Amino acid sequence: MSRKEENRTITKDGQLLLEKAHRDGVVTAWDRHEAQQPHCGYCEMGLSCRICVMGPCRIDPFKEGPQVGVCGADADIIVARNLGRMIAAGAASHSDHGRDLVEVLENVALGKGEGYGIKDEAKLKKVAAEYGISAEGKDVRMIAGELAHAMQEDYGTRKKALTLISRAPEKRRDIWKKLGIVPRGIDRETSEMMHRTHMGVDNDWVSILLHAMRNALSDGWGGSLIASEVSDILFGTPQPKPTSANVGVLKEDQVNIIVHGHNPVVSEMVLLAAGSDALLDLAVEKGAKGINVAGVCCTGNELLMRHGVPMAGNHLTTELVLATGAVEMMIVDYQCIMPSLGTVASCYHTKMISTSDKAKFPGMEHREFYPDNAREMAQTLVKEAVENYGRRGEIYLPVAPVDAVGGFSVEAILGALGGTPGPLLDAIKAGKIRGAAGVVGCNNPKIKQDYGHVTLIRRLIENDILVVDTGCAAVATAKAGLKTAEAARFAGPGLQEICGALKIPPVLHMGSCVDNVRILVLASALADALGTDISDLPIAGAAPEWYSEKAAAIGTYFVASGVYTVLGPMPPITGSMNVVKLLTQGLNDVVGATFAVEPDPEKAAVLIRRHIEVKREKLGLSSVKV
Amino acid sequence: MKQIMIHPERCVGCMQCMAACAAAHSRSGHLFAATLESPLPKPRIHVGSGLWEEGFPNRCRHCDPAPCLFACLPGAIFRDEKTNTVRVDPDRCINCASCAMACPFGVIRYHAVPFRGGKKVVAVKCDNCIERQGRGEIPACVEVCKSGALTFEESGEAMKRKTDAVSRSVSAGAEGTELPEGFSLLRAIKKARLQLQERR
Amino acid sequence: MEYVIIGNGIAGVSAAESIRPIDREGRITMIGDETFPPYCRPMISMVLEGAVGSDRLPIRGADFYERLDIRPLLGARVSEIDVDGKTVITEKGEAVSFDRLLIASGADPRPIKAEGLDLKNIFFMRTEAHVRGMERALPDVRRALVLGGGLVGFKAAYGLMCRGIEVTLLIRSGHPLSMQADAAAGKMILEKLTGRGLDVRTGLAVTAFSGKGRVRQAHLTDGSELPCDLAVIGKGVLPSRSFIPRDHIDLDLGVLVDDYLETNVSGIFAAGDVAETTDIARRSRWVNAIWPEAEAQGRIAGMNMAGQKIRYGGSLSRNVIRIFDTDILTAGIVTPESDAVYTAIQSKDPLYGTYRKMVFREDRLVGAVLVNRIEQGGVLTALIRSQMPITIEKERLLDPLFNVKMLMKQ
Repeated sequence: MSRKEENRTITKDGQLLLEKAHRDGVVTAWDRHEAQQPHCGYCEMGLSCRICVMGPCRIDPFKEGPQVGVCGADADIIVARNLGRMIAAGAASHSDHGRDLVEVLENVALGKGEGYGIKDEAKLKKVAAEYGISAEGKDVRMIAGELAHAMQEDYGTRKKALTLISRAPEKRRDIWKKLGIVPRGIDRETSEMMHRTHMGVDNDWVSILLHAMRNALSDGWGGSLIASEVSDILFGTPQPKPTSANVGVLKEDQVNIIVHGHNPVVSEMVLLAAGSDALLDLAVEKGAKGINVAGVCCTGNELLMRHGVPMAGNHLTTELVLATGAVEMMIVDYQCIMPSLGTVASCYHTKMISTSDKAKFPGMEHREFYPDNAREMAQTLVKEAVENYGRRGEIYLPVAPVDAVGGFSVEAILGALGGTPGPLLDAIKAGKIRGAAGVVGCNNPKIKQDYGHVTLIRRLIENDILVVDTGCAAVATAKAGLKTAEAARFAGPGLQEICGALKIPPVLHMGSCVDNVRILVLASALADALGTDISDLPIAGAAPEWYSEKAAAIGTYFVASGVYTVLGPMPPITGSMNVVKLLTQGLNDVVGATFAVEPDPEKAAVLIRRHIEVKREKLGLSSVKV
Repeated sequence: MKQIMIHPERCVGCMQCMAACAAAHSRSGHLFAATLESPLPKPRIHVGSGLWEEGFPNRCRHCDPAPCLFACLPGAIFRDEKTNTVRVDPDRCINCASCAMACPFGVIRYHAVPFRGGKKVVAVKCDNCIERQGRGEIPACVEVCKSGALTFEESGEAMKRKTDAVSRSVSAGAEGTELPEGFSLLRAIKKARLQLQERR
Repeated sequence: MEYVIIGNGIAGVSAAESIRPIDREGRITMIGDETFPPYCRPMISMVLEGAVGSDRLPIRGADFYERLDIRPLLGARVSEIDVDGKTVITEKGEAVSFDRLLIASGADPRPIKAEGLDLKNIFFMRTEAHVRGMERALPDVRRALVLGGGLVGFKAAYGLMCRGIEVTLLIRSGHPLSMQADAAAGKMILEKLTGRGLDVRTGLAVTAFSGKGRVRQAHLTDGSELPCDLAVIGKGVLPSRSFIPRDHIDLDLGVLVDDYLETNVSGIFAAGDVAETTDIARRSRWVNAIWPEAEAQGRIAGMNMAGQKIRYGGSLSRNVIRIFDTDILTAGIVTPESDAVYTAIQSKDPLYGTYRKMVFREDRLVGAVLVNRIEQGGVLTALIRSQMPITIEKERLLDPLFNVKMLMKQ
């Protein structure tokens, strides 16, 4: 193992597979990241503007060259506009994902979409009630149809406020009202952001950033929340289930199918097909002992949460997993799918399948999924994967999988607590648990893979802070062995005691990246139980290895909802110290929370612990100096 | 005599100088058309990355004495005394890469240029944009550099500016030459992040 | 002042060129056995390869001697130096007296022992005349035999392959260029060449050549025979020193010189392939018979002869080789013998198709091998020359994206 691999990832499977990929001549994101150095400083600072064709423009940070673009926009405006558009793209991604689920719900209501159905009727009725839809005298399909339509209205322009913001504490909603950032329509806020940042519209950088928060809220309390809730209705609300993680979850004697992307609409059907007797018989006929579906990225998390399907890895493992040579087929939907994957797969026998009309990739065969053909298409694809088993060459599975437990939906957590947040609040009040932190986000070749997540989370649980995590962060801690009840031994004495009593891990897997809304809902429940606002709680958020626009939107809805959030990589804002200061200091007076940027997870842990202790003190709870 | 001066501390790594240099040494002289030419024009200034992923514009220093000139086997490298430019005669160059061993800055590349049908691979390096200077234009890389990392001026003048800046910052009680707050912040964060990478 | 320069290769030429601007009055005599105007020796292999026409070989105009007011004595070898009498005597019996003498007699091809060496189409490859002879013979040549896998043999084989001739290369060790390249780079070179049809045989030598008038067969030590209609003997070179009086001038493999390129005899200097200087990487005396060192030594020796005290920093072996689409650049110690003194690190990068190896003595770089992306070779060579301590991570030097800025901590 050379220093190079060790500097790129803390994971053993990652290091070994990087070495193998290197030998096989496979180029990875890390190599491409290196080849990109130095990054363009204008872009890194947010000082380049490509919005209109009077430009493109850039601002000289050294104050000698141009200080304004052709239109007259200065550094503050350009940085704010760029950040606004970044958040809009993130919100659009989650929300469009949610829209696809609502469409499936609508299809189910119409009796179409064979293979799909309503798995959680109770949740359907509960959410429908929140939308003011009475269940009385209606059959499930009728409720589903009405809910789908009501949700579609949330996407449009007929509302003054999104329905589900009712879940936020009243104090929080008042702040939004006062600031004029109550999210109205999911698509509207994104659309308005694109409008505002068109040349010659909103040129007050503060006003742009306020709308950026509204846009992010339309994701967190709108698009993402709908995505999570409808997924639960269609596929079941997660309950704790054992699972396992790292590339060792691939089986040397089975047909391995990897699902990659975000939406459960495709992966659920693949999983269903892989369980069919006819296909299992075919697999045996081809010399395999079975069909093994495993996930990478968030569609994997969706399956893990609901079915305990194992996770082969997170974002930076998506290329490496192919280098095992043991993947018969990778089926992707959308988001975070590197366009390099087709090229990587061409070195092995792996068949690459794209499934969404809005996400096509070089080197992949496109097999489009609709609600109507999904079940059949999944059968066809799994069959092709089985038939590909015979083409497998040498395989390399250098590690054994690590055990984990997933499936901690809000319902599951409250269930574990006996139905109310009371016991958790008591533990916090007693100081056994100092507070809680939501650690979320991606991998980024700028940070040694998983180092940010695992280091931060270890420090937090050592200091009796309960951690909930999602997305790639959740996969990182699963690989690191922090997601079993036994992992409580890594926690401080107080948290250890609570975990032991409840038989839960100190790090709770709450799902995929759209599932970050589960964290918001849980925080709201805690705030309501205490009769206070989210920003008063001893909680924090962190995205130690974030890379994507979606993460920018998530971070912003966390902060706008009152959660202090520490980012690892620096967003492209340093071109305007006004923007930097507003986001890291000024917002505290506006929404009661700020961002912080700290790439070193050791230091980020200190920031979070300090924040939690300050909040405890303000609540009149015991506090210590950090 | 005016010369191209490099102020690496101001390089933001945007690589615009590279694109402008390639275009300036193309047949058409225009970026868009240049990208369609064959041979594809290539830059003679190279923005590399330092230890902390900071940009670093690297180009020929036109050394005097010039090691590449001594090392050149066919005598293709010569000094244009009028502009103090070390130049390569593409006709004489035999693409032996002896100059690659000699150049202590690593700024010589080997590829085809718009010369003799564009088929001959030769040693290529900065020529101080002699042609542009002949037309009264400043070197292409300097023209497009908006952060002041590349300037075209008398060396004495540049020296004086630097000395003035240092004395100003000393009298203001600051350390060294000051960089803007946001730029320093970005550099500090990058450095911290990269040091992390090394941590076991 | 009477200056006499033995040799009209690059060392002699550079010396004359650096003497003349300092001493406009002194008399300079150059004695050389080659009658062509000064030409570029390393380029003769490119002439063989067909990449360069022989008209491109001259590096100075035909008026070189006239322009610098030099008295040329060409077509003559020196037979004797009378140190006490300060006189040089040529084979033709001509005596030339000197105040300052430069021995820049270069090197001669290392001969081999075999029968039939007097047959036609058996060549050394050292001079313009050799290559012109080969060029004349080429139209009738289909199979060639090259002896020796060193730089000369390798370049001859490559040149002949470029001319579409079937070539067999006899080498002693497992890969060609064992002096210049390490085993890994050598293997890459070998694969390139054999991939293009070169026939390589190891551990064999020629006992005899046979043919009627011109060579037709080579007889090898294993008793086998090889048909060939051209043979090149490329077994390296030896300093040309037969005329140097050992009892007066200190000799080892080459003529020993001090930091000012002066021999133990005051007023007598040596430069180029015949000189044994201090090797910077090896930290010991070494004959680095390469063109750029000959140029530098000649230039510096000339200045010292003309009275300027200029120190020579020592020599460094280095080479750059381009075969087909592969470039190899090497400098200093590439195959260290003792693990106790040297550490070597290496890496291959499939993304850039590169191989790199760095050899260190403690924190100083003493050797480098680069296969492809050789543009930064000069930076590494400069690091070896300066013996500056390497304070950054050593692995950085292996990075295909390494550049001079990485040497600066700030």
